Amino acid sequence: MESRLLDKAKTMLEVIKGRRSIRDFCDKELPDEHLRLVLEAGIWAPSGSNLQPWEFVLVKDRDLLEKVKLFSPGLFGRPAAIIVVCINRKIAEKAGKMGEFMSLMDVSMAAENMMLMAYALDIGSCPVASFNKMAVKELLDLPAHVEPALIITLGYPKEIPKPPRRRPLEEVVHVDRF
Amino acid sequence: MLTDFNRKLIESPQFKLLSFLVSSARGCVDEPALYGSLRLIDAAARLIDIMQEEGLVNDDLIRLRELIKEKMDLVMYDEAGFVEFLDYVSQELVKIVKKATQSETDR
Repeated sequence: MESRLLDKAKTMLEVIKGRRSIRDFCDKELPDEHLRLVLEAGIWAPSGSNLQPWEFVLVKDRDLLEKVKLFSPGLFGRPAAIIVVCINRKIAEKAGKMGEFMSLMDVSMAAENMMLMAYALDIGSCPVASFNKMAVKELLDLPAHVEPALIITLGYPKEIPKPPRRRPLEEVVHVDRF
Repeated sequence: MLTDFNRKLIESPQFKLLSFLVSSARGCVDEPALYGSLRLIDAAARLIDIMQEEGLVNDDLIRLRELIKEKMDLVMYDEAGFVEFLDYVSQELVKIVKKATQSETDR
């Protein structure tokens, strides 16, 4: 039993540690069933009060993707697809004053789920926050109450970068007192 | 409906650079200070792409573009290395200018 648990934890940690931000992609389409799995991982993220304030816009159309790219200085390479992770303000406001802050955490957890699933499928990804939200909103016909929060780029990696340095556990973990 | 001209316009590398600069100008208001340098050096690489299409590059400039594309990510994990890289690019650019001037005087 113990060894089964450890194996599971090891696999989990391998996936978490293996994911890199990929900024250079091969020119190869992604299978729809894999994209579906990635999106499914997103909806299984936890959310405050189980509000699930997210909306995901999958963009595969090359022309549209290029237009989004025009307004996204932080989007590098030519991904095969992107997922625009959005916050549904009408749902988020049900959490009261905390809704704004909490919904951002909720969609972030959904985004991480999606990037980990992408990695498990050999798909590279990168979270992009540097894009013009107004422009993306307009291009994707998002309703007024739906705000784009993050873009996740997806595609097969051309190369896997080395992992950047992590602040060690000893530095960031504080037990009982800071 | 996009006319042929308008499509050509928005697909042109010049327009891409234009929208990159405008989006960056807005983005830099809220982004980390060093991202201003990142966007500018990225724009420089994009400008070299355009210059290449117009036949206005040499091997040194192409090497400089490749270096920029390879190293600009440094901003995300090695701030000092990124600044060093910017210094290096500036020095290389000066060398290109000096070399070109030298060739002229040699003529």
